[in-house]
This record gives sequence, C-alpha cells and structure tokens, in this order.
Amino acid sequence: MLARVSYAFRETWASFKRNVTLTAAAVITSAVSLLLVGSTFLIQRAFDNLLTRWKGDVELIVYVRSDASPEQITFIQEAIESQPTIIDVAKLRYLDQAESYAEAQKLFAGDPGTLRLLTPENIPSQFKVVPTTDDSNLIRELGESFRGIEGVREVAYAQDVFDVVSRVSQFIRVATTVMSIVLLIVAIGLIWNTIRTAMFARRREIEVMKLVGATNWFIRIPFMLEGLLQGLIGGVLSCAGLWGLNSAWSNAVTEFNDTELAALVVSDGYVSWVMVMLLVIGAAAGAIGSGIAASRFLDV
Amino acid sequence: MIRLENVTKTYGTDVAALRDASFEIAKGEFVFLVGPSGSGKSTLLRLMNRQEQPEKGEVWVAGKDINAMPDSKVPFLRRNIGNIFQDYKLLLNKTVFENVAFALEVIGRPKHVIKQQVPAVLDLVGLADKEDRFPHQLSGGEQQRVSIARAFVNRPLILLADEPTGNLDPATGEGIMRLLDRINGTGTTVVMATHDQRIVNQMRKRVVQLDRGVIVRDQERGVYD
Repeated sequence: MLARVSYAFRETWASFKRNVTLTAAAVITSAVSLLLVGSTFLIQRAFDNLLTRWKGDVELIVYVRSDASPEQITFIQEAIESQPTIIDVAKLRYLDQAESYAEAQKLFAGDPGTLRLLTPENIPSQFKVVPTTDDSNLIRELGESFRGIEGVREVAYAQDVFDVVSRVSQFIRVATTVMSIVLLIVAIGLIWNTIRTAMFARRREIEVMKLVGATNWFIRIPFMLEGLLQGLIGGVLSCAGLWGLNSAWSNAVTEFNDTELAALVVSDGYVSWVMVMLLVIGAAAGAIGSGIAASRFLDV
Repeated sequence: MIRLENVTKTYGTDVAALRDASFEIAKGEFVFLVGPSGSGKSTLLRLMNRQEQPEKGEVWVAGKDINAMPDSKVPFLRRNIGNIFQDYKLLLNKTVFENVAFALEVIGRPKHVIKQQVPAVLDLVGLADKEDRFPHQLSGGEQQRVSIARAFVNRPLILLADEPTGNLDPATGEGIMRLLDRINGTGTTVVMATHDQRIVNQMRKRVVQLDRGVIVRDQERGVYD
C-alpha cells in the first residue's frame, strides 16, 4: 500500500515538473475562473442583504418606536388593516424586536458602528406592508398618513432603493455567472489538455504498465492527482484573491457609512464558506477533468 | 493452458486477420507460430492477452473464457502472461534494474520482494553485472534479455514472444532461444511468433503455420516449411 502511495506522488511530482508552462496555464485559468465564481457569490449575497428588508413584494415599512406600548402597536396594526383596498392584509407581517434585530445583523454587516449601537431592546420593531396596488402615489400617500399615529417612528418606501438596485444586481448576477461558467469550462479544458500531454509523454510506460497487468486505477490515479492538485492550487490562489478583493471593498464601503451601500458587505463567515467551496470546486473540477481525460486515453 | 475455438478476427470491414482458428496449447508446451508478415501471427498473440477481442469464437486461457471476463479483471489475467517484443519496449530513462522492477512496482509488490526477485531474474538472464546500465548502453541481445527478465520476473504461466529475434544477428538470436528454452523448462508455456526459419528448424518444437489468417499446418517437432 505504502509503495503504491509513494509511487503515485512521485509520478505526480515528476509530471508537474515536466509540464511547467502548461501546468501554470491550467492553474492560473482555474484560479481566475474560481475567483469569478466566488465574486459572483459575494455580490449576490451583498445585494440580497441590501434587499433583505424588501423581500416578498414589501413596498412599505412602518417602523415602530422601541418604547411603544402593546396598545399602540395594536392600534397601528388596526390602522394598516383598515385599508384593505390598498393593502394585502393577508401578507402583512409584524417583525417584533428580536426578529428585527436578527435582520439588522445582515443589513448592517458592513457597518459595525451602527450594529454595536443596536440591541434587541432599543431596535424598532416593524410592520412589513405588501400593497395590492401598483400606484406608488397612493402607497406614498397612505404611508404619510401613518406617520401621525402615536408610536410610529418612521415610514420607509421600497421604491426609493429597490428599482435601481434590483436592476443592477440582476445584471451583475447574470454577467458574472455567465463569465464564471465559461471560464470554468476553459479551465477544465486546460487541465484536460495538460493531462493528455502528460499521458502522451508517458505512453510507453503506460503501454508497459498495461501489459504487465497494472490496473486502470493504478495507472489513472497519478494523473487524477495531478489534475486535482492543479485545481486545488487554482482554488488556493482564488481564495487569496477573493480575500483581498473583499477586504478592499469592505474598507471602501465604510466611507459611505450612513447610506444603503453599507449593506453591500458580507460577513467574514460567509466569505470563509465561499472560500471552502472554491477549494472544493477547484479540486473536484481538476480531478474529474483529468479523470475523464485519463480514461479517454487509456482504452484497454 | 490456451484454447482457441473457431476464432475469427477482422480489421475494418473485409480484411480477415484470422479465420475460424482453433487449436489448443497444453501447459508447459513450446509453440512456434510461423507464416509470412500479415498472416495473423501477431493478431493471435494479441488475442491471447486480450489486447484484441475476436468477432467470433472463444479464447480460453488458464481455464477462463477471457472475452467473457469484465475489463476490470483483465489486469489480473495479464499478470499471468509475460510479453516480449521485437523492439523490446524498454523504458529508456530507467536502468536495467528499474525496468525490471517497474513490472513488479506497478502491480503493487512491496519493496523487499522487488529487491529479492529482480537480482534473481537478472542473474537468470545473465545480466547480473549490468543492473545499473541504461538501455542505450546495452547491445540488442542484452536489451532483449532485459525485456525477458521483465516478462518473467513475476513467474508467469505463459510467455508470449512476438518476433523476439527479429532485430538480432543469428548468434545473438540463438542465445535468446536458449534462454527461452530454459524458461520453458521451468514449466512456463511459451508461444513465439517468428519467421526465422533457422531457429524453427533448429529447435524442433511444435509448429503452427498460418497463411492469410488460416491455420494451414499444426505439427509436433516441426520445421519451418
């Protein structure tokens, strides 16, 4: 067993050295494509954060003062529900302070200053209102009328952020997804090609191996290991790149502290999760690409 | 040990490399396959270790119908069959020792077995003092001895030889034949394709003659013609 393992690693390393340029090309391409994949995830996540408040066709949010009494809250709810022609009462949701606090964690991920000031006790609770009409003037008019009710802290309209942001995010999402898929295919193709070259360089050895009864797996594994390693190294490079990009972005965003842009930041936990995924995708794509190449050129 | 039953093998659409061939080789036999180039000798050898599969008929080796076995079992079949070739098929970047060791290494034999068996087989083929040479530092006859050592190091039941003396001068070829005869003497079945008349006539072993894919003669203690 030990003999087999050391054989596989020796062969992998030798082949790596033999094909330096092709290996470098495969590694760099996979790094760039994985970086794009990672960026796609982060961008989507950031926009999701930004739009979290407005999920589910919510057009209007009525924020309730943290010190409002239960009677006041009930009164506000009744006021909203008294407009069934404009408001979809069945979809009306009330987020109490605990729920609002959880939401704020995402919303202000890029704004730790604000986040630190918030507690489940001082945060406003909120009514999320889904209208039945598309008439934005009507919605605004209604919203303004809620301002006067006792206990209401603030009224916010989706329209103010939603239209532009959702269109931009949609565009970026499609563009980066398409690019990363194309690049990933190119990367797999390059790895495939590297393996083919490596196998061609060793065709006499492979012929002898088959004749003396080496199993196909034994012949294939060093090549698969080589592809896996290329994908994995590409993954590591892309993680480094992603980390750099994300920190630069997070730093830049803190300058716009009080704007909606502050929500366009993802938590470190999510970044780590994406990086692990990039490593897995890189390794898997490399192993699968080279495994297919090896089988393809290994007909018994 | 080897049995062919009505084997037909064609390449492309109409060229029959082998037509309805049937014969049996007993354990420990030494058999020459003779005939002009393209008569089907090599195809016959390639059918015996499943490098080729026939269109019709069955090939039995060591009690198994080898075309019925799954691909995954083929390597284990081949561990019982040694192969030698006219062009030796040695790995040029490896020494004599490494070339022979390679055959054991890739079927997962442990180091201590390799260290013991490789020198033994190199001694058998008369190359004990040349284990650190590279193939290009050896004569043709010596290279063929390395390839025989590689084929025999795992003590196979069968040795398939495709024109092993084809590139060698007569005297060197005779030396190779003496070696193959000795290996045959240990109980290994040897099947050798050749069109070297002198060798066949000298050895007086069983001769199977092919002509355009058909077995036209099968003779004990035969001669070339």
